Amino acid sequence: MQGEGIVQSLSSLSCVRCSKPASLQCPKCMDLKLPREGASFCTQDCFKASWSSHKAVHLKAKLSTMTDQKNLNADTDGWLYCTRKGQGRSGFAPNFDWTGPLRPYPISSMRTVPAHIDKPDWAEDGTPKIEPYSDLQNTVEIKTPEQIKRMRETCRLGREILDAAARVIRPGITTDEIDRVVHEATIAGGGYPSPLNYHFFPKSCCTSVNEVICHGIPDARKLEDGDIVNVDVSVYYKGCHGDLNETFFVGNVDEASQQLVRCTYECLEKAIAIVKPGVRFREVGEVINRHATMSGLSVVKSYCGHGIGDLFHCAPNIPHYARNKAVGVMKAGQTFTIEPMINAGVWRDRLWPDGWTAVTADGKRSAQFEHTLLVTESGVEVLTGRLPSSPKVLPWLDA
Amino acid sequence: MMEDDDETPPLAIQIEESANSSSAVLKPSEEDSVGVTVITGYLGAGKSTLVNYILNAKHGKKIAVILNEFGEEIGVERAMINEGDGDGGAIVEEWVELANGCVCCTVKHSLVQALEQLIERKDRLDHILLETTGLANPAPLASILWLDDQLESAVKLDSIITVVDARNLRVQLSEHRDSSSFPEAFLQIAFADVIILNKVDLVSNEASGPVASRVIEELEKEIRNINSLAEIIHSVKCEVNLSKILDRKAYDATQLAHLETLLKETASLSTSNIHDSNVRTLCITEHRQVDLDKVRLWLEEILWEKKYNMDVYRCKGVLDVQNSDQLHTIQAVREIYEIVPARRWQEKEERVVKIVFIGRNLDEVILRDSFKTCTLPLL
Repeated sequence: MQGEGIVQSLSSLSCVRCSKPASLQCPKCMDLKLPREGASFCTQDCFKASWSSHKAVHLKAKLSTMTDQKNLNADTDGWLYCTRKGQGRSGFAPNFDWTGPLRPYPISSMRTVPAHIDKPDWAEDGTPKIEPYSDLQNTVEIKTPEQIKRMRETCRLGREILDAAARVIRPGITTDEIDRVVHEATIAGGGYPSPLNYHFFPKSCCTSVNEVICHGIPDARKLEDGDIVNVDVSVYYKGCHGDLNETFFVGNVDEASQQLVRCTYECLEKAIAIVKPGVRFREVGEVINRHATMSGLSVVKSYCGHGIGDLFHCAPNIPHYARNKAVGVMKAGQTFTIEPMINAGVWRDRLWPDGWTAVTADGKRSAQFEHTLLVTESGVEVLTGRLPSSPKVLPWLDA
Repeated sequence: MMEDDDETPPLAIQIEESANSSSAVLKPSEEDSVGVTVITGYLGAGKSTLVNYILNAKHGKKIAVILNEFGEEIGVERAMINEGDGDGGAIVEEWVELANGCVCCTVKHSLVQALEQLIERKDRLDHILLETTGLANPAPLASILWLDDQLESAVKLDSIITVVDARNLRVQLSEHRDSSSFPEAFLQIAFADVIILNKVDLVSNEASGPVASRVIEELEKEIRNINSLAEIIHSVKCEVNLSKILDRKAYDATQLAHLETLLKETASLSTSNIHDSNVRTLCITEHRQVDLDKVRLWLEEILWEKKYNMDVYRCKGVLDVQNSDQLHTIQAVREIYEIVPARRWQEKEERVVKIVFIGRNLDEVILRDSFKTCTLPLL
């Protein structure tokens, strides 16, 4: 499994029972992927002697993954670390060879959505049922005028939600509070936050700070002066999804980060500029790669743009890197996202033990921008485009 | 059972210091990628015999076999690894977990991610065999495993090997030939880079001497009618020369061996359009240079837009491109294709354009005529 690399040297681990340097560990804790700090022992004897008290750790970990989250909230106030791709919670900070300075923080309990809101099929049990088996994973749908009308409304709502999030970003606010703003704005608009419980994702939006490339989980960490944070909003409204994201500055950000964010914005702008009927999907990656490389930055390859509509994710897949073999050409009536993730250092990504958070392999910063697009007869319509009311947070646009 | 274990402590285990905890940061070089061979074949043809033969043969390679229940709803696959490096050592079993996360916004399929994790976990793995179920259509697997080079994955599709039962092949092919349903037996042969014609001994047992060799000849002809690019290997109990089936690099655009055979082949690779079997191989040859942009558009019309209603499974070829001294190769699996420069044309070499299609409802006249739009007039 990824993420099982070990950082501490042996000397830093001490026996839980007698504090001598430890060279043994509890096999059960390893199975349960629990942190080694509470599971290290100097000898088999110390391990045996500790067993009756130590084994409670396993039960607690198992309970946290098995019990209904609502029951859990009463015991722990709901703030726990996310594990098992969102299916588990743990009271212990995970063990990982972190690639940069950022660490996961506990996350709050799952937010609820009122009964009157129309929900996608994963809202209840975390598993999308229609999406994975749909024909639309293989063929790119041409939307009807009626679908396009709904997409416009949904994407407009998505934009208003992201703008609401942008307005509260400042040093000291937690990403969980941003999630609350997104969640409440989505519901106020009559929509469902698409990420919530999608393949067990625990929150209503993704917040990706500094070296996080994408899929960061909103948690208890307070944004710090100098951070960059991407907020990725997706909304399900009137039977279809809209998807957009932007990277914001928190307080005063260093020059290099400003350049990274601006270049990423330009990569998306340049990619959108080529969109029109007849253009190959594989050209998108060429344009993005060219601009990022010219600026000395690198393009994330593991995550791509995607078709969107009645389904959250469907065909086509649109890689952001050059020399890809993506299939097909753009046609009027198609809707899809382009969402380049650009890194200050290497392009490689790694996954945190929570199973969602993708970070840069070298711990350097990463930025992203995303729009949902409609191919028109003459070119492109940016369905999630900025509004006159959008907060002026991108200095190069509003200076 | 787990609860009972809690009463007595298990043995604590050694804390291992991971030497390569940052391995993911390091860029694996070309040599580091592990070849994946997909093994298909009808039930009873001898896939498991082949797998067991490869696992137990002396070759000094560490090989993992994944039993792939592709298309069926399970999250884990069984992997068997010869821990003794093919020197008759123990074979261990492991489970490979398929991620059930959101696959749609990730470039790599969960199967690829699972294989990458298996490779990362094992300190050294030389090859992976993916054994499919008897009824599997190899096309989706080939599409998933044929990754962009840009991803620099530790996994690399090596080739597709189809095992056929010399005694039963005819029956299997004719079973569906007249029905509208399309049999996997045809697809498995059409997608194969290597076809192992197994149980040839049983054919000889049933018929003697010259009759037996004629039966085998007929079978080979039947296979070539479908796919004349694949190499056919005869075997008894799947005992084959491993160098013929591992590390073939069938999907490597710059693999010279494949180019040379394609260039040298003087006899037409096209097979006659047999009335009762629509799957065939077709080859077009051209001695004029081509306009690369036009070739792309032409190919995209066939593969993506299905303009001529042809169902192309595989396509391989070489191109002589205008204003380039590079021999370009063309390769396609269903809709996915790439055209890349492979090497310089040699000075005395006859420059040629040769494109081979394997598929259904292929129309030679239409392909030839439509391709003329891509060629430049002779000087």
